[in-house]
Amino acid sequence: MSPKARLKKFFDTASRSKLMVYACVLGLIALALMSWSLFDQGWIPVMAAMSLGQGIGTLSFMLFIAIVIMDLRKAEFRPSIPPAPEEPRDD
Amino acid sequence: MTYYLVRRPRLDLAGMSLMLIGLGVLPIMVALIGNMEGLDATERQGFCGSCHTMDMWIEDANDPDSASLAAIHSRTHKFGGKSCYVCHKDYGMFGYALTKLGGMGHVYKFLSEWMWYDRDEIIEKIHIARPFKNENCMQCHSTTGAIWSGVQDHHGLVDDLRNGETSCVSAGCHGYAHPFSKPEEETPSADEVHTALDAPAPEGT
Repeated sequence: MSPKARLKKFFDTASRSKLMVYACVLGLIALALMSWSLFDQGWIPVMAAMSLGQGIGTLSFMLFIAIVIMDLRKAEFRPSIPPAPEEPRDD
Repeated sequence: MTYYLVRRPRLDLAGMSLMLIGLGVLPIMVALIGNMEGLDATERQGFCGSCHTMDMWIEDANDPDSASLAAIHSRTHKFGGKSCYVCHKDYGMFGYALTKLGGMGHVYKFLSEWMWYDRDEIIEKIHIARPFKNENCMQCHSTTGAIWSGVQDHHGLVDDLRNGETSCVSAGCHGYAHPFSKPEEETPSADEVHTALDAPAPEGT
């Protein structure tokens, strides 16, 4: 299966709520790592925040974007102007 | 995010907007503030001293009785808190990035080798990666001021000092910045180290 087809399958079949749970868990880990460096500025917290923390945070945000894309793929876009009523026929 | 994990609200427009704040806006803001604070923290003496390998260098720099160049410069309030960074950073066009890259090299060396050394071994094993550039001294000591020019020893060496052929921090001149880390025979005596720094004020150097 090509990467494009895999991606399509993922967007068609993945569970939104499960993805959101993963995004939330990763987001909380990222926030914890990034906040740690604000209080303890030794080399481990600072480097963990600026590499691992931001990487995990980006992954969490990407999962959120994936959920938005899934929503948009399934959304029904209705025109805001209703179609004109049919002309009465002259029989 | 915690709210979602605990209460599992519906992912409608309101829910998604709330999650956008939690997963997008908030982490991005924390990351930006963290980057600014983190990069600033990497310039502070405490950051350089957070590895045990640097303990002796930091102790000497902060020793009020020490006459080493590092200690004298660390006592300068202008950059005392950032004395390691101010003296060792690269002042070139891409200096900031290159200095940070050099720092990453230090992290690699620490994790792969230095962290296993104790204090006695550190003194023998650690040395500066490249010879210290006079350019770094010349960021403050321009070599054009009256006091600097008034020092007899500087007269014949102006060109050599400016192009880096003679080091300001060599044993015959101002001595090593961290003399405790050098073998005894290479270390000048305390009298030799700062004969040129007897001038009353640092202005015009």
